[in-house]
Amino acid sequence: MPVSKYVITLCDGPSCMQKRSKQVKDVIKVELEKAGLADKVRVITSGCLGMCAKGLIMIVNPGYVIYGNVTEKDIPEIVEKHLLKKKPVARLLIEEDHLYNRFYRVFGDVNFFGKQMRIALRNCGIMDPENVDEYLALRGYEALAKVLTSMKPAEVAAEVKKAGLRGRGGAGFPTGLKWEFTAREKDPVKYLICNADEGDPGAFMDRSMIEGDPHTVIEGMIIGAYAIGAKEGFVYIRAEYPLAVKRLEKALADAKREGFLGDNILGSGFSFDIEIRLGAGAFVCGEETALIHSIEGSRGMPRPRPPFPAQSGLFGKPTVINNVETWANIPVIILDGADWFSSIGTEKSKGTKVFALAGKIKNTGLVEVPMGTTLRQIIYDIGGGIPNDKKFKAVQTGGPSGGCLPEKYLDTQIDYDSLAAAGSIMGSGGMIVIDEDSCMVNMAKFFLQFTQDESCGKCTPCREGTKRMLEILTRITEGKGVDGDIEKLERLGNMIKKSSLCGLGQSAPNPVLSTIKNFRVEYEEHIAAKKCRAGVCEGLVTYEINAKCVGCGACKRVCPTAAIAGSPKTVHVIDQAKCIKCGMCFKTCKFSAITKK
Amino acid sequence: MVTPLDIVKKKRAEAINRIVGKGYLSTKRVYVGMATCEIAAGSKEVMEVFQNAAKQGLTDVYLSQKGCAGRCNLEPTVEVVEEGKIPVKYGKVTPEMAAKIIERHLKNGEVIKEWVIN
Repeated sequence: MPVSKYVITLCDGPSCMQKRSKQVKDVIKVELEKAGLADKVRVITSGCLGMCAKGLIMIVNPGYVIYGNVTEKDIPEIVEKHLLKKKPVARLLIEEDHLYNRFYRVFGDVNFFGKQMRIALRNCGIMDPENVDEYLALRGYEALAKVLTSMKPAEVAAEVKKAGLRGRGGAGFPTGLKWEFTAREKDPVKYLICNADEGDPGAFMDRSMIEGDPHTVIEGMIIGAYAIGAKEGFVYIRAEYPLAVKRLEKALADAKREGFLGDNILGSGFSFDIEIRLGAGAFVCGEETALIHSIEGSRGMPRPRPPFPAQSGLFGKPTVINNVETWANIPVIILDGADWFSSIGTEKSKGTKVFALAGKIKNTGLVEVPMGTTLRQIIYDIGGGIPNDKKFKAVQTGGPSGGCLPEKYLDTQIDYDSLAAAGSIMGSGGMIVIDEDSCMVNMAKFFLQFTQDESCGKCTPCREGTKRMLEILTRITEGKGVDGDIEKLERLGNMIKKSSLCGLGQSAPNPVLSTIKNFRVEYEEHIAAKKCRAGVCEGLVTYEINAKCVGCGACKRVCPTAAIAGSPKTVHVIDQAKCIKCGMCFKTCKFSAITKK
Repeated sequence: MVTPLDIVKKKRAEAINRIVGKGYLSTKRVYVGMATCEIAAGSKEVMEVFQNAAKQGLTDVYLSQKGCAGRCNLEPTVEVVEEGKIPVKYGKVTPEMAAKIIERHLKNGEVIKEWVIN
């Protein structure tokens, strides 16, 4: 492909699509052809670019020139003046100095990035995270200054509430409301916490945000502290993120030196400071009350709520605790405005959400999309679909607390409520794509193994219940499942959900219950037919030697239980009674002579 | 009265001056991904190649690290940003490729198409 001189991005969000984005794209192609620019200009479509009121939106890079209200008849002029004579068409220009989508200038022409909208991740990957100057140059700390200059604390909380921002850690509680509850408390000492105890297997958005743009998180926290009247804040981050901790420490020191933290911030009279607390990596410490106990120096175990941290949190004081991604949204809400923020997303879920896209997908990575984007758009348009022409089987959202959704839910819009209605959760943003080679029972077992290990042991349903569920699942995958196991899992699972103390136990059965709901037949096959259709569960697999065997004896030599017999140059045989199904023969055979069933 | 907004605006102007003083307005800006994931994929070695080249007199290039943009399976990534041109994004960069990017792209202005992410 020749190197493009220009990249034209046409917004293809729902609103711009109504303004004939498809037809305009066709006209552009024709005009480029006429002007002899067809191989010098790339035309791509994006997801919603967040300027719906001025649609159809068209961005020309380099330069991030934004045109609004574009119609088919404007195209010849844009091609002629902008692309040929390098003079942007003034009458269509939109003057926008928005904070979101900063990354677009650098990455917008790559399909994977161009379809995204980035608020929390806006600076990740385009600046040096260890240089506060680069953050300042990107309008860093301007939101804080605006708040300190012209807004009362109550107005800040009201603005966040109006924006409709909900907690990005997964529970989805309205952030502004949480702030108001805390601000309302009479106690003069209040605390603020950033929850960076990211623990879901395969999720890494918090690490990326802190490593890529630590000041955004810090700025969000200072603004939050001003809104609720806190003087001290903590970032609770796991010790296994050493680089994130190092960058955060550097950023805190820089912020303090520049007067954004400490006493009398920017001469406003408001004082606030942030300390780092390292977690040892217990999953349960992501639960807010357990996290608070851990900061206090006690064992990280949850306690019943109420009282909620907003009333009685850290050291018994009113406390606001929000996730890294939630804090990273705050500066944008302040500068780009609550009205803009709430124009993005669905009715009840505003803004964007970051997902860590992993599993059987071509483009793995971090994805930030507007709420309301469908699972299909993320997996196929951004993620590029399933590699090796395999068939899509399910998508798992929300990590060990979430559920697996099969193909019929692919058009589900991503927001807190739709995902919950489909039987999964938003969670903190893990998204694992599963193809036909994965066994759903084994998958559920994997997640339950994780939560079982991480159960703190304080309440019986979670401690004992998950253990019993895991035992049943293990026996099913070993081919020892019995009639009634599925019903037992359902009964136990629902009981654990209802009676556990904290979110860990209340959500631990989700992977099992959702796979039973959507893939019950696979459970039944494991139990009744002793068959694992994906060939994953070792106990249910049989290895047999087929006619392709040349009698080389390689399998015989590696078999640890001497289960393979046969003389040289004759077809060998596996003694099923001795076979322990380790798969060594299968891996060793060079002639595809061993069949796995 | 000086407001916090005035202070931050002044700080921004100073910050921009400092960045420019470090050579930000050089013809080419090179960003090497240096988050945990990128480093695990080998970006430190790539960064060293660029740093050594800078020590040995590679001129008119502003070299910086960056966080992870989120393109996991193509890491380490390196961007070459040039004013007035579409930024070039290289994926799965090895130290050997980095040396070639320096020779062919940074010194001779040739975009090495087969390594470009798009």
